[in-house]
Parts: sequence; structure tokens; C-alpha cells
Amino acid sequence: MIAVNGASKMFRQPRRYSGLGGSIKGFFSREYTQVRAVEDISFAIDSGEAVGYLGPNGAGKSTMIKMMTGILVPTAGSIRVLGRVPHEERMANAREIGVVFGQRSQLWWDLPVRDSFELNRRIYNIADARYRENLGHLAEMLEMTGYLERPVRQLSLGQRMRAEIAMALLHDPKILFLDEPTIGLDVVAKDAVRRFLSQINRERGVSIILTTHDLQDIEQICPRLIMVDDGKLLFDGELGRLRAALGARRRLTLEFASDPGPVTLASARLISDEGVFKHFLIEDETISLVGILGQLGGGHDLKDVAIEEPDIEEVIRTFYQQRPALAP
Amino acid sequence: MYLSIAARAFQSRLAYRSQVWASFFGQTIQILARIAIWTAAYAGTASVEGVSLDDMVTYSILAGTVLAAWYYEALIQDIGTSVKTGDVAVFLLKPIRYPLYLFSSAFGEFAFRITAVVLPVVIVISFIYGLQPPASLFHGLMFASFWLLSFIILFELAATCGLLSFWLLTSFSLTYFLQGVIALFSGSLVPLWFFPPAFEAVARLLPFAWIAYYPVAVYLGQLGVEETLLFFAFGLGWAGLLALGIAMLWARASMRLIVQGG
Amino acid sequence: MIAYLRVLAYLASLHVRSLFEYPGAVMLAWVSQGFSYVSVYTAIALIILRFDTLGGWGWPEMALLLSFHLLAYSMGAAFSFTQFRELEEVVRLGTFDCLLVKPISPWAYIVFSGFNTQYISHVVVAIGLMSWAVGQVDIAWSIPTAFYFLASLVSSAVLVACIITMLGANALVWVRSRYLFSTFFGFWELARFPLNIFPGVIQFVMLTIAPLGFLAYVPVAVILGKDVVLLGPAAPVLALLAGPVAVLIARAHWRFCLRNYQGAGG
Repeated sequence: MIAVNGASKMFRQPRRYSGLGGSIKGFFSREYTQVRAVEDISFAIDSGEAVGYLGPNGAGKSTMIKMMTGILVPTAGSIRVLGRVPHEERMANAREIGVVFGQRSQLWWDLPVRDSFELNRRIYNIADARYRENLGHLAEMLEMTGYLERPVRQLSLGQRMRAEIAMALLHDPKILFLDEPTIGLDVVAKDAVRRFLSQINRERGVSIILTTHDLQDIEQICPRLIMVDDGKLLFDGELGRLRAALGARRRLTLEFASDPGPVTLASARLISDEGVFKHFLIEDETISLVGILGQLGGGHDLKDVAIEEPDIEEVIRTFYQQRPALAP
Repeated sequence: MYLSIAARAFQSRLAYRSQVWASFFGQTIQILARIAIWTAAYAGTASVEGVSLDDMVTYSILAGTVLAAWYYEALIQDIGTSVKTGDVAVFLLKPIRYPLYLFSSAFGEFAFRITAVVLPVVIVISFIYGLQPPASLFHGLMFASFWLLSFIILFELAATCGLLSFWLLTSFSLTYFLQGVIALFSGSLVPLWFFPPAFEAVARLLPFAWIAYYPVAVYLGQLGVEETLLFFAFGLGWAGLLALGIAMLWARASMRLIVQGG
Repeated sequence: MIAYLRVLAYLASLHVRSLFEYPGAVMLAWVSQGFSYVSVYTAIALIILRFDTLGGWGWPEMALLLSFHLLAYSMGAAFSFTQFRELEEVVRLGTFDCLLVKPISPWAYIVFSGFNTQYISHVVVAIGLMSWAVGQVDIAWSIPTAFYFLASLVSSAVLVACIITMLGANALVWVRSRYLFSTFFGFWELARFPLNIFPGVIQFVMLTIAPLGFLAYVPVAVILGKDVVLLGPAAPVLALLAGPVAVLIARAHWRFCLRNYQGAGG
């Protein structure tokens, strides 16, 4: 559905000089530097997938989304979305995708939310019945019915973002692109957005491409993760695979009714023994929890079991540190 | 302190390279246009009402750039924006007088425009068309004084319009009104001596005439020594009156700010 | 197609609605701008009344030239000026990107969402002056001449809209286009006057690189039966072609700018 092959994007930026001498020099001459925002990146995304696009600032995430949506033209390589080249068939592409920009609003500031939706209805030429149905569903799922009539300038960031996402889905796009949608939102709003996105991906099959800094976004919404830095592709695959590849282990905590003495497991390494609580690091990822507990043997008074995934931030940090060893 | 504000305004203009080029170009075109208009108007006639074509060429150069050096519309708009955003309230907190601050800033920009735009333009145009020297040393010196007075009065008119936006809530319309009045009554395009008599009599007394007409009239020696001094004094009178007006407007505006909170 | 036009009309109505939230300011703006133009025209009138003619043009003829200039400009600018001067800001804020992902022509969206009613005052002043001038000048009015007059008026308006579009479109690739507009207005002022009073260089520029000579001088000179500098007998046709040719150039330029659009950064 989306095929990116060797895509690259280079920008020219004018050089700026500092200081008064620099000001005068800048007055008379103009030099440019080349910036490689995206360098030879390739990947493919199938219909119905939810993919997270992750990277530090300046890594080229926004640039890639802009190329996929037809805003920018790649300097090299090819990009095909839904069988089309985005910037060449911009209008046809636009009808089948929805785009949400985290840091810029597509809603009309002074008008009620509903008016912006109405404008969208006309622009996308959505049939009346379908529009009303979609609006009804989205308003309900995103809990917007309370503020549909309020002017956008009176809304909180969380309310606005939900409205933006709803607006992008009114025309039943096949793909939803989101550029940092949870940035600046409070915890409750972030959670609402994530649950919603995950829901429409799983239940309605809307493909989701999401750029973000926030790893929780990825964890809750996207099973697949593409990581970039400095314009280059670093990793493309499942989050689980990344964890495993880095040797990040899940933590197993067993709580007993009474201290059973030393406990050993074949697939997990003991890291601390606190009497009633015993903490293990799961060494073997292939064995299920039931299998591990089976290794306990009988005669133990097991009260509670807890499994913790390794902190995703830690995973990613470890990844950046080990980067050279993990080229895909 | 006000001097440093002026200096800062001067320096900040250096950053806008394209603006300087655009201004230089725009002013040159303007003057060429005026000279062409007068040349066509005179079409063969040597002198009209004692004024020759060469005089009018000089008039065009002086009124077209030297006396149009400062872009007053920006001041009105800046004050207007400042009022709209409420930034202007900041000036009540600082140990600085808003009108004086505006003046220093404007003067800095004025100085910059003279150096970076007006001087080159005058040099280039004089090269092609020739600029007459002042009628006499006295007239030359008085011209310099009138020039400064012209800037002060222009500033005051613009500042007055800007401050009125406190009440009218629009700087856009005020800018156009002032532009309209200046276009005609400053003598910028048409010297007052070409006006129909009744019209001329009124226009000569309005403060706008000191923006372009009187300075150039003095330069060309159209006014005798006594007349020159008389009208200079008259001009100072207007400047004083306008300054008073600004002080009053600002006092009432700050009162309004304090009471209403912007 | 009809649906598309209705979208544009809806856009324009949204914008006009928000403008008229402050009707007092709108009307004050009309009055002040009208006043400004009347004032400038009075100054020019004073010159001509004092000197009889300007390059062979008497006051009624100048009045026709000035009013044609203003009317054509206003009609073109209503569809372009504020919209494209603001484009620099729209690009900087990143809102232009939002337009590119919608199934609508960004040009059409920009034009109609910013359609400006401030030009109504200009149109009123222009038509007022034109109605007087048309009766005073020495033209034998007939159906063909009237048709030519209107057609060249439209062509000039289109020319203005295209030039302004191109000036603003540079914001897509350079990110700073404000100063082009002040240059434009320099030539725009020159376009108020009959080209024959200017030196040859300026005449040439006004008919080629900065084709504002076609805004008013060429069509009005043709209608008045005056000789047109540099163009001679080709003048009537060229005046009508100015608009359509400008459209072709402007469209190509716009496509070029979109292709080379670098975005707002990030």
C-alpha cells in the first residue's frame, strides 16, 4: 500500500553569520549549505498496519511524512502511496488520506468546530448520509458532542486535537498520517487519543502512520516501529524484536504466602531475593509464562505473579548506544 | 538612553538587506516618475509662475526622497499593533516615556534611511539629471533646519494618528486618512504655488505644508529671508502644538490602560 | 465542477462573514481608502489643470486613464493582493502544508478564503470618475468599442491577479517576498501615467519585465485612438492578450514553486 524506495530529500539553507561583522558580510553575500534531511530510506507498509516513525529532533520524520503526503518532492528515490506518486497525483491522493499535524491547526480559529467540519464535508464532497453517520460516531467515540458548537479558539489543546483527528477521518480515509499528535497534551488527553487511534486501526482497518517522540504512543498504538536518525533508517520491525535484539529482559516478580527458601527457575535468572518476594530476569523469551511457572515445581504457596516489560525509554536509549551493531 | 534606542533601531535595519534594495529601487523610480511628469508638463515652456523646469527637477528630488525618507506608515501600524496586543502597557512599567521612545526609534530609522537609501538615490539621480545648489548659504542652512523640523512634524502627525488608534481600534484607516491628506497638502507631488489661490491660502497654513513644501521652497529661494524665518517660527509653533497634543493623548491613553487593563 | 465552485463560494462567504463582524471598521476602511485615492487624483488634476496637458493627454483623458487603472487593479487585487502578501506568513506557520493535503487547489483555496471586500471603495471611486470621464472624452462609442473596453478591463484585471500571484508565490521557495510587493507598487504608480512621458528605458521595462503598461495605458490609449509607444499597430491585440498570456506564465510559475516547496522546517 505504501512503498518507499531509496527516498532522499536534500534542502538548501542560507548560511547565517553572527555578530556585527557577520551582519554586514551577510548583507553583501549569500552562501548555502546542503542539509540531508532524508537519506536513502526504504520500507513498505501494508494495508491495515499501524506504524510508528520514531527519531530525535531533526531526524527527518516530518520530512518523510511530508513526502508521503505529497507536500514535498523527494530529491531521489521513489515513493508510492495507494499505487500513486503523491506529489504527482496530489488531489487523488488527498481524497484517500487524512493528515493531522500536531503543531498546526486546520480548524478555522473563529468559527465553531462544526463549521470547520462542514467546510471539510464540501471540500471532500462527502455524501450527506455518510457525513452525518461519521460525524455522529466520531463525536461519540471522541466525546466531542459537548463542544461541537464552540469556536475553536475557546477549546483546550486536548479538545482541539480530538476535533482535528475527527476532521481527518470524516471522509473515511484509508490511511491516517499523524505528525506528533500527542505533543503538548495532558496525560488524560493523550490516553484518550491513543485509545481512539488504536481502536480505529483495529476495528475499522484504518492504516496509521504516526511520527512521535513519545514512546508510549508507539507502545499503545503501533506494533511496528521505524526508527530514524540523521536522515538514515536505523530499525524497522516489531517492538518486541527490538527488545529481544537488545537483550532487554522482562522482569518476573513472584510473591509467596511465606518465604519458600531459595527458588530456581530454568528460564529465568534470580536477581534479588527478598524473602517473600523474588525477582527474576526472564532469559528465555520463547517460553510462555505458564511454562516458566511450571518450572517452579509443586509445593510452593504462590500468592501473586507480576511481569514487567523493560522500560521502553530504556530500550530505545540502549538502542541508540548500540546502534552500529544493529544495522538492519 | 534615548540615544542608544536610536542606535539600536539603526543597527536592526542592517538585517533587512532586501528591504534596503527595494527602497532604493522604489525611491529612484518615484523620482524618475516625478521628473518625467514635470518635464512633460513643462513641454517647452521655460518657466511658469517664476519656476523653471530645473527648479522642478530639484523639487522632485528633494520632495521625493530627502523629505520622504522616513516611512511613517510603519509607525502608525506599530502603535496600532502594540495597542491591539496590549504590549503597549509594558511602557507604563518602564522608566521611559512612550512618545520619546517612539521618537528615538523613529530617528534611528530615519538616520539609517538617509545613509543607506536617500544618499545613494540623490547621488545617482543628480548624476543623471543634476541637482541645483541651494539659493544661498542662508537658504541652505535654513533648509537643513526645515528638514529636521519636517521630520519632527511628520513624526508627530504619525504618532498622533497612532495614538488615536487607542480609541478607534484601527490603525489601518488612520494610515490611509493621513496618507490622503499628505498626498495633497504636503506639497510632496505638487508645490503649493501651483494650487488655485483660495486653496493655496489655506494649505500654506496647515502643518502638512512643512513636511515637503516649505523646506524645498526655502532651498529654491522662493521665500525671502524674513519670510523664511517667519515660517520657520510658524512651523515651530505647529510642532509645539502637536507635541502638546501627543502628550495629552498619551496621558489619557495611559489612564485608560491603567483603568481598563489594556 | 459545480460542486467545486460551491466550495469556493462557501469559503469566500466564511471569510466575508468574519470580516463583517466589525462593520464599523470595514466602513471606516472604505471611507479612508476612498479619500486617499481622491486626494492623489486631485493632486494630479491640479497639475494638468495648471499645465493644460501632460504628454498630450488632457484632464478628461487622464481621468479615464486613472479610473481604468484603479478599476482594473481593484478587480484583480480583490482576488489576490491580501491573500498572496500573507502567503509568506501562512508558509512560516506551516498552514500551507495543511492545504496541500486536501483535495482542493491550494491557489483557489487561498484566493477565495481571503477574498477582500475592502476594494469596494476603490471600485466606487473608479466608477464614479470613469462615468464622468467617459462622457467628456472624444470617443465615438459603439458596441464594438464598448465591448473592447470591457474586454481589456477584464484582461488587465487578470494581468494584475497573475502578477500578484507570482510575487506572492515566491514565498513558497524564498520564504521572503514582501519586498517584491513594494517594487511592484513602484511600477504600479508609474502605470497611472501615459508611458510617452517617460524615458525609453522605462517604457520598455513597463511593457516587458514589469508589464504594468498593459494595466491601463495601452488599452486606454487604444480606445482614445492615440499612438501607443513601442507597440504601434499591435497595441489593440496585445492589450487583450495581456491577461491570457499572464495566466499561462503564472500557472507555470505556480507549478514550479509547488515543486520546489521546501516546507516550513522541522
